[in-house]
Order: sequence, then C-alpha cells, then structure tokens
Amino acid sequence: MSDPANKKDELVHPLAKPFLWLDAKWLKTSMIWIFGVLTLVFIGADFVHHRHDYIPIAEIPGFYAYWGFGAFVLAVMIGWFVVRGLLERDEDYWDEGGDHD
Amino acid sequence: MIDFPHIEALADVSPAWPVIIGGLIAAAVPNHLLRKVLALLAPILALVLWFNPETIGTYGIIEFGGFTLETFRYDNLSRIWSFVFILAAFINGLYGLHERDRLADASGLIYSGAGLGAVFAGDLLTLFFFWELTAISSVFLIWGARNNAAYKAGLRYLGIHILSGVLLLAGAVIRASETGSWAFGEFWGEGMEGGAVAAGIGLDSLGGWLIFLAFGIKCAFPFMHNWLQDAYPKATITGAVVLSAFTTKLAVYALARGYAGTDILIYIGAVMTAFPVFFAVVENDLRKVLAYSLNNQLGFMVVGIGVGTELALNGAAAHAFVHIIYKALLFMSMGAVLLRAGTVKASELGGLFKSMPATSFFCLIGAASISAFPLFSGFVAKALTLSAVAYEASHGHPELIAIWLVLVFASAGVLEHSGIKIPYFAFFAHDRGLRVREAPANMLIAMGLAALLCVFLGVNYGVLYTLVPFPEVAAQYEPYTFDHIVGQMQLLIAAMFAFTFLVRMGWYPDEKRSINLDFDWIYRRFGDGMVRWAWAMVDRLMAALGNLIAAARAKFGSRMFEAFSPMGALSRDIPSGLLAIWTSALLAIVLLISYIAR
Repeated sequence: MSDPANKKDELVHPLAKPFLWLDAKWLKTSMIWIFGVLTLVFIGADFVHHRHDYIPIAEIPGFYAYWGFGAFVLAVMIGWFVVRGLLERDEDYWDEGGDHD
Repeated sequence: MIDFPHIEALADVSPAWPVIIGGLIAAAVPNHLLRKVLALLAPILALVLWFNPETIGTYGIIEFGGFTLETFRYDNLSRIWSFVFILAAFINGLYGLHERDRLADASGLIYSGAGLGAVFAGDLLTLFFFWELTAISSVFLIWGARNNAAYKAGLRYLGIHILSGVLLLAGAVIRASETGSWAFGEFWGEGMEGGAVAAGIGLDSLGGWLIFLAFGIKCAFPFMHNWLQDAYPKATITGAVVLSAFTTKLAVYALARGYAGTDILIYIGAVMTAFPVFFAVVENDLRKVLAYSLNNQLGFMVVGIGVGTELALNGAAAHAFVHIIYKALLFMSMGAVLLRAGTVKASELGGLFKSMPATSFFCLIGAASISAFPLFSGFVAKALTLSAVAYEASHGHPELIAIWLVLVFASAGVLEHSGIKIPYFAFFAHDRGLRVREAPANMLIAMGLAALLCVFLGVNYGVLYTLVPFPEVAAQYEPYTFDHIVGQMQLLIAAMFAFTFLVRMGWYPDEKRSINLDFDWIYRRFGDGMVRWAWAMVDRLMAALGNLIAAARAKFGSRMFEAFSPMGALSRDIPSGLLAIWTSALLAIVLLISYIAR
C-alpha cells in the first residue's frame, strides 16, 4: 500500500522540488532571526554612513526601520481589532438581504 | 533613438480605433481562433499608430453637429498612459487566450479601446463618449462570471459609473456655457514656472466641481471606492486582470490633466493610501485584498497630482505605468490560483508553490515590485512621488511632513497586504495539501512578460523616465542612491521582521471565512433599508389617504341621502305656508341679486 504522504509528494511539480526547503520548519522558525539581524544591519548602516534626507526626522539613524516596524504593527492591530472587531460579519451576510456577495 | 516610419494616411487615426473595432468584430465572430488573433493583433496595430505621429499635436479632429471633437491628442501626458494601456491590452490578450468566451473577448477589447480613446480625448465631449463606453463595455467582464453575485455587483458598478458619466457631462455643459469651450485640460504642461503645472480645469466653478466628482468616482476616492472592492473580485478570472488596468488609471490621468496642483487631492490621496491597508489586513478574499491594494496605490498617484510639481507629476505617471503592470501580474497570479484551486480565499489556500512554482515565482516578482524593493519597478516610480513630497515639505510646505509620514506608513502597509499576504497565504503558509496543475502556458507567458517588465523597468529605469511627462526633470533624478536604498531596505526589512515577530507571538490575525463591512453598507443595507422604509411609508400613506377619502365620500353620501332621499329631511311633510314663505324669500333674493348685478 502506498503511503499517502509519499503520494502527495509525487504530485509536487518538478520545478518546485528543489525548493521544498521553503516549507521546512527550521526556516519558518528562523525567519524572525534572519529578518531581525538584517534589520540591525540596515540600521547599523546609518551609523557608518550618515543618511541625508529632506525631512529632518528621517535623518535619525534607523528612522525608516522604526517607522516600518511600527507602521506594520499598527496596520495589523487596527485591522484586527478595529476593522475585524467592529465590522466583521458572516460570509453570507449579504445573501440574507438577497444582495449576494 | 529609433526612427519609426510615418504613415501619412493613418496620421489621424487614434490607436483606440483598431482596438474598439477589433472588439466589435470579435463580438460578431463565432470562431474562437479568429477572436484570439484579434485580441493580440489589435493592440499591435494600436502600437503602430502610437508610434505614427511625428510630433506632439492634436490629430483626428472630427466636426460633428457643430462640435469639434478631438480624438487623438498626442502629448507628453497621453503618450505614457496610452503606451501602458496598449501594453496592458496585449498582455491581457495573451492571458485570456485559453478562454472561449465571445462576450469576454469582445468586451475586453472594446473596454481597452475605450480607455485609450478617453486618454487621447482632447475635449470633454469626446472624453464623455469614451468615459461611458468604458463603463458599459467593462460591466460584461463582471457579468461574465455568470452568477447572481456578479450580476448584482455588475448592476451596482454600472449604476455608479453611469452616474460618474452623467456628472462629467453636466460639468462639461456648465463649463462650456461659462467659458464657451469644451476643451479638456488645454493649459496642461504650459506655464511651468517654478515647477508648478497649471490645472486644466480646476475647482473654481460648479462645472469644475462636478467633473472633479466624476473623476473621483472612477478614481475610487474615499467613500466612493466600494464599487472597486465590490466588483473586481466578482469579475471573471481574465476580467479582473483587464479591469485592474484601465478604469482607475484613466481617472488618475484625467485628474492629472484637469486638476494638477489642486491641494485637496493631496489630502484625499493620503487618506486613500492609508485606510485600505486596515481592510486588506483582515480580508480573506485575496482578489479583494488586491482591490484594496489598488485603492492604496491610487492614493500615491493622487498625492503626486495634488502636489503638482513636475517631479510629482512624473511620479504619478511613472507610478501609474508600473502599477498597471505589477497589479495586473498580481491579479493574473490570483486568477491562475482561482482557475486551478477553485478559490482565492486565504483560509482555504497555502502551500501552492509545490504545484504552481512558476506562478508563485511571478507572484513574488509582482509582490516585490509593488512593495518597491530596489531593482523592481515600484522602487524607481514611487521614489519620484515620495521625493517630490519630501522636497516640497522642506521647501516652504511643512504641512506636507504629515502627508509624507502617511505615505511612508502606507508603504509598509503595501508590503503587508500585497508584498507578504498575497504570496504567503496563497503559495506558502500552511500546506493544505492542494495539488493542482500549474497555470496554462498562455497565462504563464503573460505573467512572465509582466514579471520581466517589472524587473526591466526597475533596472533600466531610464526607459521609464524618458516616457514621463517631464523627461528632462526625470533625467536629473537618481533613484539608486545609497541613502535611498538603505532607507527603503530599512523600511521593508523591519516591516518583514514585524510580520515574523507578530506571527511568532501569535499576534497576527488568522485568515477567517468572514467578510468585513465597508462604506458600501451605507447604500447596500442602510440606504436600501431607507428606500424600502420610505416606500412602505408612502404605501401606507396612500392607503390611509384612500381610506380617508372613502370615509369622507361615505359620510357625504350618507348626508346627501339623509337630505334628499324619499326618507330624507327635504322630503318630509312640512306645512305649505312655510314652504310658500321660503319660496318667496328665495325669489326675493334672486330678484335682488339680478337687480344689483345689472
């Protein structure tokens, strides 16, 4: 009897087979470290070479990194707690009024 | 520079015509192969006509009913928009090659041609004609999905876009009666002292405001935007790709021509960049995420037009150009997923890179482009707008610092919904065990071509900068400076770190099978409810009035009966003497009146 997991892997596209490591658990757990270190590297670049910008606040070393991190978290939190929290409805919400969605 | 041969006989033929005529022929041709040849040939013919004019100028002037219609205005602004429209029409034709749908083939071509026609319109009447044609032809790309939801969404879409056309016509008529001119943005590109560009229409009259509103509807301004998120995700697979290219970018073009430097656009655009981010974060339908993302991208262009300097307008035009390509690429990749997996709900997808590696790769290129990673097209385009805003903020307009901060916030937001969410939840994340076939070859070729352009323009940005409205200004701009690359990488990498951090902490919202209400609730539920309530009230009022009239008639009838029936008061036996007295009195009154009247 064939193993269902093996059967599933047989259906993987040949072009995808060299990239199956993208689904590896070690990669998923280490992503936070990879991006953490990279963020520090790019912040560090500001201390090596002073960045010039039209906007004074943007000349603070690492400004874009702080703003990017904060913006991302803020966007997710507002989306989660404000949009989903207040405006989420069942998938068939519009169907109930005969106004299919 | 390559010199293309000039064909004098075709000098007055707008590139819109071969595409529209191709669409009309496709509507009549039952042969699938012939229609597909038309879908590819028509944009190629349009491109030949695009190269035909020797100089900037207005061609294709038609005298009709006392009006002068300018059908082919070839200038620095229409050039870039029309070029990318032609490119998009060709890529769309490739993408839809496998479909056997006469309606889709015809409407796709007519719609693309109408978009081209509107871009080349030199007067408001010609613009109105093509404006409405884009609305009417494109609705079939939604209805083509052939389900009830698409039918209803198509009706709403059509209603809103017809309204936009009516406002445009009303504004044009008012403007013509005031100024005696039907011209559309005749002053654009002149009087550029200090880098400012004079608005072609402006907001100094009622007509100007109505036209602005018409453009705003099509551009999906805040509170007018929901037709976009409502209709595009319900369109056909190819339809959504086609729709993503033309309507909203036509509106951006119209704003650039008519309202460059109009301050209010800066604030409208800033809102447009920010609010869709919050909705896209928790949206489960990935094509709807792209629709929100489209709204966000339009915001950058609108801000650029509002700032109105040469650099900012270059930014808006370059952004529109690259956006059409990478947004189409993202819609194409989601279309391929929908075709193969049968859904684009994030809650039902994941791990598709194992089945659709080429589609995943192209989607990642689209995601990198829209996120503005260096070496991708979004980077070299968005940089122009952000630099223009920052420059103005530091040169006498400090209020623009807040706008600039919003734009940088929105840039991180773009990465969230289009850079990460779309590819991650469709192709990676949790492997749901979906093992489907890779997209059809024609879809892959179309996606490959779009992906190639994303990289080509990101690297060879000089090509893009020669097409923008002010190439001499663009030529002085260098996007790949150390400061710019480091700043952008800080933003993007830190945002990606934030994503991994939130996921690790369990603070990233799960993909759920649900919907989120948006402003369209106002007219789809509240407005609909109000109309139903008002109708019911009118119904009741009419019933009550009917009852009142019936009661009054019954009362009057019974009174009359009481007075005149054989049993009534006037039929009673009364003494003849009394009757004689009353008769005499009546006669006396009659005599008196006739005497006085004489």
